[in-house]
Amino acid sequence: MKLGEKAVQLSVNSPRIVTFIMVALTVLLGLLISMVRVDTDPENMLDEHESVRVFHNAAKKEFNLHDVVVLGIVNEKHPDGVFNVDTLRRVHELTEFARGLQHPDRAEWHVVKRDLMAPGNVDTIEQAGLGQVRFEWLMQEPPETAEQALKIRESAMNNPLLKGTLVSEDGKAVGIYIPITSKEFAYYVREKLLEKIESFSESSDDQYHIAGLPVAEDTFGVEMFIQMAVSAPLAMMAIFILMLIFFRKIGLVIAPLIVAMVSVICTMGLLIGTGNTLHIMSSMIPIFLMPIAVVDSVHILSEFFDTYRHTRDRKKTVERVMDELFTPMLYTSLTSAAGFASLALTPIPPVRIFGLFVAIGIMIAWLATILFVPAYISMLSEKRLAGMGEADGEKETTFARNLRRLGSVTYVKHKMIIAVTVLALVVALYGITKIQINDNPVKWFKKNHAIRVADTVLNRHFGGTYEAYLILEGAGESESLPDIASAVSGRIEAGAVIKDNPNLLLKASAIIKEEASRAAGPEDFFNAVIKKWDERMDSADDASYDFWVDTLDLIEAVKNREQVFKRPDVLRYISGLQEHLVKSDVVGKSNSVADLVKKVHQELLEGDPGQFRIPDTVPGVAQSLISFQNSHKPDDLWHLITPDYKKANIWIQLKSGDNKDMERVVAVVQEYVQKNPPPVHIKAEWAGLTYLNIVWQDKMVWGMLKSFLSSFAVVFFMMTILFRSPLWGILAMVPLSVTIAIIYGIIGITGKDYDMPVAVLSSLTLGLAVDFAIHFIERSRMVFKKTGSWEKAVKEMFQEPARAISRNVIVIAIGFTPLLASPLVPYNTVGMFLASIMAISGIATIFILPSLITALEGRLFRK
Amino acid sequence: MKRSILLSGLFILCILWKAVPAAEELPNVKDIVDRANRVAYYAGDDGKAKVSMTITDSQGRVRTREFVILRKDVSDGGEQNFYVYFNKPSDVRKMVFMVHKKIEGDDDRWLYLPALDLVKRIAASDKRTSFVGSHFLYEDVSGRSIHEDEHTLIGTDEKYYILNNIPKDPSTVEFSSYKIWIDRKSFMPMKAEYRDRDGKAYRIVEALEVEDVQGHPTVVKSRVKDIINGGETVSIFDDVTYDIGLGDIFTERYLRRAPKEARK
Repeated sequence: MKLGEKAVQLSVNSPRIVTFIMVALTVLLGLLISMVRVDTDPENMLDEHESVRVFHNAAKKEFNLHDVVVLGIVNEKHPDGVFNVDTLRRVHELTEFARGLQHPDRAEWHVVKRDLMAPGNVDTIEQAGLGQVRFEWLMQEPPETAEQALKIRESAMNNPLLKGTLVSEDGKAVGIYIPITSKEFAYYVREKLLEKIESFSESSDDQYHIAGLPVAEDTFGVEMFIQMAVSAPLAMMAIFILMLIFFRKIGLVIAPLIVAMVSVICTMGLLIGTGNTLHIMSSMIPIFLMPIAVVDSVHILSEFFDTYRHTRDRKKTVERVMDELFTPMLYTSLTSAAGFASLALTPIPPVRIFGLFVAIGIMIAWLATILFVPAYISMLSEKRLAGMGEADGEKETTFARNLRRLGSVTYVKHKMIIAVTVLALVVALYGITKIQINDNPVKWFKKNHAIRVADTVLNRHFGGTYEAYLILEGAGESESLPDIASAVSGRIEAGAVIKDNPNLLLKASAIIKEEASRAAGPEDFFNAVIKKWDERMDSADDASYDFWVDTLDLIEAVKNREQVFKRPDVLRYISGLQEHLVKSDVVGKSNSVADLVKKVHQELLEGDPGQFRIPDTVPGVAQSLISFQNSHKPDDLWHLITPDYKKANIWIQLKSGDNKDMERVVAVVQEYVQKNPPPVHIKAEWAGLTYLNIVWQDKMVWGMLKSFLSSFAVVFFMMTILFRSPLWGILAMVPLSVTIAIIYGIIGITGKDYDMPVAVLSSLTLGLAVDFAIHFIERSRMVFKKTGSWEKAVKEMFQEPARAISRNVIVIAIGFTPLLASPLVPYNTVGMFLASIMAISGIATIFILPSLITALEGRLFRK
Repeated sequence: MKRSILLSGLFILCILWKAVPAAEELPNVKDIVDRANRVAYYAGDDGKAKVSMTITDSQGRVRTREFVILRKDVSDGGEQNFYVYFNKPSDVRKMVFMVHKKIEGDDDRWLYLPALDLVKRIAASDKRTSFVGSHFLYEDVSGRSIHEDEHTLIGTDEKYYILNNIPKDPSTVEFSSYKIWIDRKSFMPMKAEYRDRDGKAYRIVEALEVEDVQGHPTVVKSRVKDIINGGETVSIFDDVTYDIGLGDIFTERYLRRAPKEARK
């Protein structure tokens, strides 16, 4: 390796210059980090112009829907649940407090006061004595007596729009739904509410829980950065300690740490300096980069440590070690980088950025390793290296002895090892078929995290804290003007009034005919006809007035035929769909304009439960709706229907935010619509954060699979080139294939969800698992050349090379255990994965590779 | 066609134009309030107007309402009756809203829904609910009793008396106070600005055009604006006439069968 030699020469001869350049570059790029812009919104997993996201935002705007923080107050001890004077007073206080929340620096981040849903801010319609109805705030002022408190419970329970949403059906919980103008404001709201709750001095049995996807997502964002600042340095510490145990020289083990820090700082500087935001994904770059950056230096140190005691010449040792390791290091870095770079093929922008920058970071780490580590070693004084490796004396350590024994096992029992491997693969493949694709941002927190607890408690009491919106749109068919005109005439002729007025009917028909021939289009036609009718009405006598008024209704009914969501049959269809949805146990509750019409209709008719139904005519529906608009908050209607009555929103509350549950809801709706065609053509589309999550998950899963397969192919290709033999190439792929199969097999068998972190980790698995194989094979071939016999070569392979691999396994696997203590599940997952990748691929390399080589010796080492 | 309201300047407040005060002498607050009340709500003995209301929401979407409003005073400055007959939207045609406004105690209110063939009394304990989904409240339509607030004259400029008004019972209303600008010549209340519990202005009711109808200053165009959320409602009053000699039509009997004054 000419290039490699030159590089090493440069480092060894001018170590100070190399070091200076590296430090200067790192400082420079490190300064860019201060320009960081943070983005914690998982919605950005979808491209801004992605159609579902565009639709989601349009629907939110059209129906005035906001992201919601759910504050639940639960009292399980008081006999009246939360409906006692003290609890309701606190509910009132919290409502007033929440109303005024506003971010101190960002004026556009605030609570949407008008849409705040709390007992003090919802209107209810109820009976007010004989033949009267009343629109009343559910709780204008906190009650003063137990009786008043129970009255509030009664009103809330009688209102199907509130029961299960605002108050739990068991009366033990009440919810305050706090709409916010930006999801990024959710964490602030939670913090302020917790502060306020903390300030309640008197003791009570009330429990307070804060839930909802926006809070979970925003809180995750905040805690993620804390984890980045805590876990990464902790892992660094652990790695440092482990290396110290192996190599005993502080001066020596600092080198890998410097390489890791340099690569992390340079990569993050580049990422931020190029104008990218720090997203949930990119915040994980340091954690991914560190083990990869450390691996190569550990190989160098391990070799150096083992060789130095024989040569006692720093420079010569470094040169020899680098000569042996240059090619494998280049290839391991290229393959790892290729694994991550393949993420650029996924359709998810943050994942693309993540993959690209980890790949860049890996190459930075490689550069730092081959240039800086030799320079660093040659700057160490011989004195500091003195005695290195001597502690072991000439006696073999237990560690080394056991490894050596193992070597002969792989030679003698290679058939058995291959058989065991095949068996393990069969089990693993079975496990892979059991893999369950699922994710839920709330489950990114550990079970005992306040957010998870809140989620569990509130979803036990309420209809659900996860929201999805099914947006229905009447798809209008375009009709020709003559068709419309004849529809109008037909309606009028069929009307009962006409029989008595043959003359008027003739006049009416004449007007319609005339206007139809004159009008430019339907709109124009209706305007002209209605104008004529108005003129007739103005000049009509009492008898003919009725004719004109009644027929005008018929004309306008045709004109308004696109207002499908005033039609009783359509509303009944919606109700039917809602009933069907609630039968699937994931949907806790749903609200639609149909529920509202029914409730108003019932209260208009003396509160008779039998009248909780959709009126039979369009005007009946329209008049129920206009009655509703005589309330304090008439605009609440427009969350459920648009003012042109052409679109409606079914607000669905889910008890679980698991993607598989949302997927089931989508399937249930689809099935229902297929089996029960709606009375008019209706287009149904989904919106809501819970739904968006399944869309990006889907993209993630298939995108990852594609990127994984392509990087698998690329790595195989590179292996074939490196070893100039497809057979060796295939051999090199064995340990990583076994590792991936076993890891994902375990995920399938243990029932752990295949979620976002697990999906992303497949690239890391590929990149890391191939490393040991490259080192092992490259060295095997060198040693074979030297010894001329595989049997002899195996023995040597289980000296330094096997020790380097084992040390790496232990350093990385144990070094990242601090991640297991993180309160965030994705960090635990990464920790578990790193340990598994290292352990399994290490074992696979040390056991399976030599066994296979033994079995295929004749073909592999053809002369 | 003259536009002007009739009915009182329904929706708006106003004052009697006749009572132009002697220029220099400042009347006391009670007089101002009293005159303004009469100008805004008690022009003539009775009256009629065709109203078209345009509701624009915060997204700029527009809805309209058209109705005829009839008013008859039982006594000047005292009790009066309103009858509101809807023409549009077409599916609420013939819907009627009727009020017997009281000075002491709650008003009586009725709603007639023709499609359900239903006459409904509406409890009027809270008058600060929306008028058929618009930004106007029932109390803007029938007038807030002058006895419910403490009035203070806080300023006078060339055109207006400026009054601040604080509710005597804050628990019954959503505002903490409102300021009102009353025209010094006509005594027509021209603008009212409501403040929420944090003292922040959130709602403005304005008379945009005032015309003389049969000698009464009459608001013919008025507007309510929601300053916080955006959105507004504009009412235009056409064919305003006073002293039309309305009979005793303000009874339940006339809800199902509208009087001819309402229908045309």
